[in-house]
Amino acid sequence: MALHMTCDGLRRRDFLRVGALGASGLTLGSYLRAAESGTLDRQAPATSAIFINLQGGPTHMDTFDLKPEASDEYRGEFNPIQTKVAGIEISEHLPRLASVMDKFVILRGVSHTLAAHQLGSEYINTGNRPLPSLEFPGYGAVVTRELGGPDGLPPFVSIPNSAQRAGYLGVKYAPLHTNATPQPGRPFTVRGISLQNGLTVEDVEKRQNLLDELDTAFAGFEKNSQLLDGLDRFSQQAYSMITSPQARAAFDVGREDPAFAEKYGETPFGQSCLLATRLVESGVRFVTVSSGGWDTHRDNWTRLKDNLLPPFDQGLSALLTGLEEKGLLESTTVFVTGEFGRTPKINQERVGRDHYPRAMFMLMAGGGVAGGRVLGASNENGTEPLDVAYSPDDVAASFFHTLGIDHTKEYHTTTGRPVMIVRDGQVIEELVS
Amino acid sequence: MRNSFRLIVTGCLAATLTAHVRAEETVLPPASERFQGADIEETPDFQRHLVPLLGKLGCNGRACHGSFQGRGDLRLSLFGYDFEMDHAGLIDRVDTDDPASSYALHKPTLLEPHEGGRRMEIGGWEYNLFLNWIKGGARPVAADAPQLVDLEVSPAELRFSNADEEQQLRAIAVWSDGTREDVTCLSRYQTNDETICGIDQQGRVTSGEAGDTHVVVFYDNAVVPIPVMRPVSDQTGDRYPQVAAPTRVDELVTEKLAKLGIVPSESCTDAEFLRRVSLDIAGTLPSEAEVRQFLADESPDKRSRKIDELLETPAYAAWWTTKLCDWTGNSDQQLNNVSPDRNRPARDWYEWILTRVADNTAYDDLVEGIVVATSREDGEDYRAYSERMSALYHAGSETRFADLDGLTYYWARRNFRQPEDRAIGFAYTFMGTRIQCAQCHKHPFDVWTQNDFQEFQRFFTQINYARNGSDRQEYRAMIEELGLQGERGGQLRRKLQQALNDGQVVPFPELVVRRPGANNRRRRNRQADNPQPQTARLLGSAEINLTEIGDPRTALMDWLRNDEKQLFARAFVNRVWANYFGRGIVEPTDDLSKANPPSNGPLFDYLAAGFVENDYDMKWLHREICNSATYQRSWRPNETNAGDERNFSRAVPRRLPAEAAYDALVMATASDDRAETFLTDLNGRALAIPGVPRRNRRNDGPDYALTIFGRSLRENNCDCERSSEASLLQTVFLRNDEATLEMIDRPDGWVNQVTRQVFGSDSQPQQRRDGNNARQQQRRLERLQTNLKRAQDQGNENRVRQVRRQIRAIRQQMEQSELVEVEQEFEGQTIDDATLAQLVESAYLKTVNRKPNDHEQQVSAAFVKDADNPIEGLRGLVWTLINTKEFIVNH
Repeated sequence: MALHMTCDGLRRRDFLRVGALGASGLTLGSYLRAAESGTLDRQAPATSAIFINLQGGPTHMDTFDLKPEASDEYRGEFNPIQTKVAGIEISEHLPRLASVMDKFVILRGVSHTLAAHQLGSEYINTGNRPLPSLEFPGYGAVVTRELGGPDGLPPFVSIPNSAQRAGYLGVKYAPLHTNATPQPGRPFTVRGISLQNGLTVEDVEKRQNLLDELDTAFAGFEKNSQLLDGLDRFSQQAYSMITSPQARAAFDVGREDPAFAEKYGETPFGQSCLLATRLVESGVRFVTVSSGGWDTHRDNWTRLKDNLLPPFDQGLSALLTGLEEKGLLESTTVFVTGEFGRTPKINQERVGRDHYPRAMFMLMAGGGVAGGRVLGASNENGTEPLDVAYSPDDVAASFFHTLGIDHTKEYHTTTGRPVMIVRDGQVIEELVS
Repeated sequence: MRNSFRLIVTGCLAATLTAHVRAEETVLPPASERFQGADIEETPDFQRHLVPLLGKLGCNGRACHGSFQGRGDLRLSLFGYDFEMDHAGLIDRVDTDDPASSYALHKPTLLEPHEGGRRMEIGGWEYNLFLNWIKGGARPVAADAPQLVDLEVSPAELRFSNADEEQQLRAIAVWSDGTREDVTCLSRYQTNDETICGIDQQGRVTSGEAGDTHVVVFYDNAVVPIPVMRPVSDQTGDRYPQVAAPTRVDELVTEKLAKLGIVPSESCTDAEFLRRVSLDIAGTLPSEAEVRQFLADESPDKRSRKIDELLETPAYAAWWTTKLCDWTGNSDQQLNNVSPDRNRPARDWYEWILTRVADNTAYDDLVEGIVVATSREDGEDYRAYSERMSALYHAGSETRFADLDGLTYYWARRNFRQPEDRAIGFAYTFMGTRIQCAQCHKHPFDVWTQNDFQEFQRFFTQINYARNGSDRQEYRAMIEELGLQGERGGQLRRKLQQALNDGQVVPFPELVVRRPGANNRRRRNRQADNPQPQTARLLGSAEINLTEIGDPRTALMDWLRNDEKQLFARAFVNRVWANYFGRGIVEPTDDLSKANPPSNGPLFDYLAAGFVENDYDMKWLHREICNSATYQRSWRPNETNAGDERNFSRAVPRRLPAEAAYDALVMATASDDRAETFLTDLNGRALAIPGVPRRNRRNDGPDYALTIFGRSLRENNCDCERSSEASLLQTVFLRNDEATLEMIDRPDGWVNQVTRQVFGSDSQPQQRRDGNNARQQQRRLERLQTNLKRAQDQGNENRVRQVRRQIRAIRQQMEQSELVEVEQEFEGQTIDDATLAQLVESAYLKTVNRKPNDHEQQVSAAFVKDADNPIEGLRGLVWTLINTKEFIVNH
């Protein structure tokens, strides 16, 4: 019933009505059409997405943007190798990704100015430079709001958790956090989905029968109240999520063909990618995978080559080929990024690199994005973008574009201020075309 | 020129006339008549006619020329009222020598292509009005132009008896020069509920469904709401049944209901009342013992005594402190680096308010402690202040932050630093008013203009939360004494915290009120470039000379207390009311704007006036509401009130607020002993969590549940930040989250208590893993979790990390070890029927806080009996009851 007055003089219901009836008013019509210009382009190739967050800020200089010609102050000890695509070179510790270079795009010289973890992380998880006075919704919240979710499965799952929150869109767009990563050969328990404490499906069914019989205090009045009606609906959905084989199967990576699963590797990151593949295959709209440890102020190269790069190389390359094998790569956009790059100039004292947002890298694949390309570039020492600088906002706008979501569409915040999905970005045409 | 002069003369004449005879003929007929046809001589006025016309035609809307980027190079002020800018924009597009060939006329008539389409017809009155303004020299608003004094709208109230009836509104503008003009054709209109009535742009109202709402008329800066009503039944007037109205609140509510033909619901049952009032006053379920006692009590005043009793509990203070923390914005996220002890501000804030709510400090005094909070005491220098504050934070201090007069942290928040953010936040917190629109343009739903906003914002320019204090020399000296010169940023902060923890004196941030004209060379230089404002204006009220008062916030506080509109008292009254009914008398609760009038004005007036007369006694307000028959109505609707959600004719079911929901889960599954303490012992209660954790810490412990159940984020100056919506994840959490399942099974839970009582052993099956006792591992895990909580509370981050590592290790051990189930001890055991009936009743009393009826008793007992063993059956029953709608809904 409540009408939300918005700052620009429209009430929310006006939008809904126009959406339903088609704009026909004399003056209001064009007004609304323009205000609601964000329309869905259902020609878009992608219907789901996987967002991989490399937390801590992965170095660009030693992964996807090597500078072999730079001086020792900058260069780093890794050498570049040829990839499957002639002319594109990446780090020698990413051999598997090199062999599937045709499936993804490297964006170099992506640039922003927020060198603190949390601010940077909020920026790249929302596509909007953070404001103290407003919490922006994460990508997953926007995508599930725009595209909806499957029946009997949560639309937005984060493995094991995510910096993407529902923000001003409200609690119903929050992700389900698995709170754990699957371990090979072990049953995977997911908060709320897996049966725990010794419960079986049969137990749950018995309890549900009892619930159906006892939950009658409001019998006959449910339709009278949005809340009661909603609770009944969610009750049915939750029940099928918990008991249906579909939902549990979606989370049960143990059911994957061992030959297929093996390629992902037995690491937490690899298993997370495997789970992400399964979830998307089951119809989950948006999956985030978070993987930490990239904050390599110290022992950058040792940590990269021993701990960080091998599982990443294996997991991500398997994700791309796995999605392709299942015929899902075209309909799934994969977006990989950290919150910033790392200082091109080596911190000699600690043998590491520090925070550096001015020339980071991002990766994108699937969702109709033609792979095998490098877009953008950093300068000779990797300190600045060369020519054009892409902003996280631009990449965000392009990411939404692959999903058929117009980033200029306006939402109203809780206080009625109109805010575009991405406030400041432009679709990078060469990326999505 | 001559024409416009004549108009003014006519206007003056009209003014003189009105003084004597307030006759109809002194009202200027509408512009749509005066500008109809050819050869009109009148020159219209820019403010009175042209700008309203542009608004009416949609020209200055946000998608058109009102956009901040403008359209087609023309930018008009959004919703008008920036006459200078609008005039400057138009003047380039008019040709006073050849008015009809003005570009500004060619565009909206499509003689030139116009993206906005055709807005007017050549020769129509709108066109003629525009044309004549240009002919008359395209004059701007004169410096001494009359002001709009009133917009008289008739009829003052609209009543319909059927659908599709029509009534016409008429709007008359009254200007300070006495002119009265019919501006029906130049006003804008909106309906606040289009299912009740529609309104077209000619001011014609068409009735729809039965019920009530308002239509709103806008002209110049005036906003006039007009009530619209269509009774829902024929039981109005004489035919309205006798409804008991024991309190003034009931009388006022019933008066409105009688007009609408809505008959209120019956009184709720005692059990419903007890559950509702305990949740609403104290955010807490009644315990089993309390329900039994209340139901057995036969004295007639037991409800009233229960209200008094609840108002004295610590849980009452905690719940209302939580609400006050919502409105004032207590959040770790916003309180980064505002104190040398980074873990204290949110907790200090919470305790500061808690102490006052528990003491029932008058609301205005409580707020005064926030509004005029200062750091230093009279005559105190910076070092003495830092010493006093440091001592406060040292171990064993007898004084607490809560003992200080002022809650300075309110002013320290990250989202409360700029004067404009403060103006918006202040109006939100203390006046329940949204003025943010006026930051950039005329407020579309209220009288505020951009100018009002700017003048108000000046109250906040002199207030500074200085992180390193305002005495630079002394600060440096103190840093040097600590040997920390050369340290910077996070490193310095950590070392200062360490020094403070070690009992040393560290420099403290302080709230400073700069005085305009203070004797400070640096400031004087800056003033030359950017002069400090000398005056500020209270919203819609007096101008204050800032040089004449020491602290401009005292003027704000006086105004909150004394302003005749009483927004200060109203905002609080409305929010408190909303706590008890699920919606405010004004809804949304923080939008007390002209265009959003109360659903029951007399009721609102009565409570606001009573609150002030009773010296802002918060408990008076709670009692006044809770003791009313209106509050104590059943949620069961009757024929007339099923659709009523805004006139308080019945209780509307609402989901438990996040903190109460989480605590209810913990309490409903707790052992009797633990459950008994919930009203008095705040330890471990979600109600006692002081601030919203930082954004990256919202998945731990109860925070996950509180987040998905929609606790307030406390960031955006909106009451809607607390969500009462239902969501799938909430249901999943109640159905199958490990946290919920573990609550049912926990060692100090009710199921385990019963097992011990009935079978003399623990409910948990004894499991052995690799020869290690799983219970031992479990206990160790629980101990570690307690340690973790303690370390988090103490803010000992090293310890937190260490404990987290230990927890990970033990979890791994538990997962990796082989499970060896020990024989189920309860297999084949039974509970005798009498005991079982008792247990079923207890389960009901603990969760939905009433006794089961015969059918429920039977079904539940049968379920327990059918289960593999009785304990499993009880677990299932508790699970089922906490998953009913009746549990998670306050009804």
